[in-house]
Amino acid sequence: MKSKLIIAIAAMGIAVLFSSCAKVPQTEIDAATAAIQEVKDAGADLYVPEAYQALVDSMKSANEKVEVAKAKWFPNYTKAKEQLAVVSQMAVDTKAKSEARKVELKAETEAMIVEVKALVEENKALIAKAPRGKEGKEALEAIKSDVAVAETTVTEVEALLANGDLIGSNDKIKAAKEKATAIKAELEEAIAKKGKK
Amino acid sequence: MGLGKKRIKWLIIVLLSIVFIAITVCVIIVSQRVLPTDDLRLAREAVSEAKDAEANVYATKIYNESVQMYDSAMVNWSKENSRFIVFRDYSRVISFAKRSKKKAEEAEEESIKQSDSLSKNVEAAFVSLAKKIDLYNKLFKNLPLPKSVFDAHNKSRMFLSESKIAHEKGKLKEAEILFKKADIYINHANSAAGKMLRDYFNDFAKWKNLANDAISASRDGNKVILVDKVAHILYVYQSGKAIRSFDAEFGPNWMAHKERNGDRATPEGTYHVASEKTHGRTIYHKALLLDYPNAEDRRMFALKKKNGSLSRSAGIGNLIEIHGNGGKGFDWTIGCIGLQDRDIDDLCRLVGPGTRVTIVGSIEPLSVITNGVDF
Repeated sequence: MKSKLIIAIAAMGIAVLFSSCAKVPQTEIDAATAAIQEVKDAGADLYVPEAYQALVDSMKSANEKVEVAKAKWFPNYTKAKEQLAVVSQMAVDTKAKSEARKVELKAETEAMIVEVKALVEENKALIAKAPRGKEGKEALEAIKSDVAVAETTVTEVEALLANGDLIGSNDKIKAAKEKATAIKAELEEAIAKKGKK
Repeated sequence: MGLGKKRIKWLIIVLLSIVFIAITVCVIIVSQRVLPTDDLRLAREAVSEAKDAEANVYATKIYNESVQMYDSAMVNWSKENSRFIVFRDYSRVISFAKRSKKKAEEAEEESIKQSDSLSKNVEAAFVSLAKKIDLYNKLFKNLPLPKSVFDAHNKSRMFLSESKIAHEKGKLKEAEILFKKADIYINHANSAAGKMLRDYFNDFAKWKNLANDAISASRDGNKVILVDKVAHILYVYQSGKAIRSFDAEFGPNWMAHKERNGDRATPEGTYHVASEKTHGRTIYHKALLLDYPNAEDRRMFALKKKNGSLSRSAGIGNLIEIHGNGGKGFDWTIGCIGLQDRDIDDLCRLVGPGTRVTIVGSIEPLSVITNGVDF
C-alpha cells in the first residue's frame, strides 16, 4: 500500500514537472490584435503614423514576451499580459487620436474650401473691375483660366473629401488657396495700377 | 513476497534516480541554451528605426525582407517553443533575427540615401520647373495663345504648388509624381507657345529689311516711327538714332499681320500718319490715324480672297491708329497701337501727318529675344 502511494506521488510529480503551469494568454493576444486591426481600419497608420507605429512595436514586444515566457520551464505570462493590456489601452488611445486628427483635418479642409470659394468669387468680381478696353474680355482670359483651375480644384477637393481622402484633399486645397491668393494679389495690383493713372 | 517488496523498492529508487539525472541533464541543457530574446528585440528595434527612416517607401524591397525575416523568426520561435523543452533549437530563430536586423539596417541606410537623392532631384526639378515657368512668363505670357496653352500652364503651376506642399511634408514620392505632372503640362504649354513664336519669327528677315529701311529713312533728319510688336515698344527715330521710345499695347491677336476687318491683329509693314485726331475728336484721348491698308495690304487681301483663304464677304478693315488710353498692361485694342495718354501727347508733339510708320514683329532676332534660352 505504502509503495503504491510512493509511486502515485512520483508519477504526479513527474506529470506536474513536465506540464505547463500557465496557459498562453490567447484571449488577450487576440483582443490586442483585433484592437490594432480596428485602429488600422480607422486610418491611424495614415493620420497618426508615429502613434500607430509605436502601437505595432508594442504589440511585437508583447508577442516576444509571450515567447520568452513559453521558453521557460514554468511559463509565467504575467509580464506578457501586462504588456498586452498596455497595447489594448494604446490601441484605444491611438484610435481616439486618429479620429481627432481626422475631425481636425476635415474641419481644416472644409474651412479652406469656404475660403477658396470666397477667394474665387472675389477674384471673379475683381476680374470684372480689372482694367479692360475694347477687347478686355479676351485679354483677361488667361487670368480667368487661372481662376477656373482653382475652381476646378475645389470641386476635386470636395470629391476627395466625400471619398474620405482627408490628407489628399487637405494638400490639394492648400495649393488651391495659394493659387487663388496669388491671383487675387495679381488682380489687385493691376487694379491699383489702373487707379494710379 | 519479502523479496518482491525489496525489488520494487529498488526499482523505485533506480527510477527516481534516473528521473533525477534526466531532470538534471535537462536543466543543464536548457540553462546552457541561448534564448533569442535579445536578437529579436534588436531586430524589432532595427525594423522600427528603418520604418522611421521611411525605408518602407524608399527601400521597399530590403525593408520588406527585413520584416519577413523578423516574422519568420517569431514563427520559428513559437514553433520551437511548442516542442519539448529539451529538444528546442533556437539557432534558426537567432539566424532569422540577425538577418532581419542586418536587412533593416541596410534598408535604413538605403532609404536615407534614396530619400536624400530624391529630395535633391525634386529640389533640382523645382528649379528646372521654375525656370520653365519663368520662361513662359517672360516669353509667352503676353502672346495671344490658345486657351489650351494657358490652361496647361496654369495646371502646371497648380501641380507645382501641390508638389511643393508634399515636399515640405517630406512626402517625396508624392512630390515627385506631382512634379512630373507639372512638368508634362509646362512642357506642353512651352512647346506649343514656342512653336507659335518660332513660326511667327519666320518673317524676321522681312521685318529686318523693313526696320533697316525705316532707320535709313530717318538719316536725313526726318522723324520715323518704328514699332516693335514683340518688345511692345514704339520708337521715334531721327538721324538713324532712336530719340524716344514708348511702351505700346496692341490687339489681342497682335502676333499676326492684319488681314481683314475684325481679326484684332495689328498690321505689319510701312505706313504713314494720315491725320492727327486731337483731344475731343477721338475717344482715345488723341490719335494718329495711319494709312492702313497700303498697296501691299490691298494686293495680299485680293490674292487671299481669290485663293479662298479669306471669305468673299471679308472686309480689309481700316481706322488703324496710334492712340491714347493705353498703359493697361495687356493687349486690348482692336488692332491699333495704344499708348499712355502722356506718351501720345509727347508723340503728337514729335510727329505729325506724313510721318513714316513702320510696324514689324521684332527688330531683334529670336535668339536675342529668348536670351539664348532653348525652348
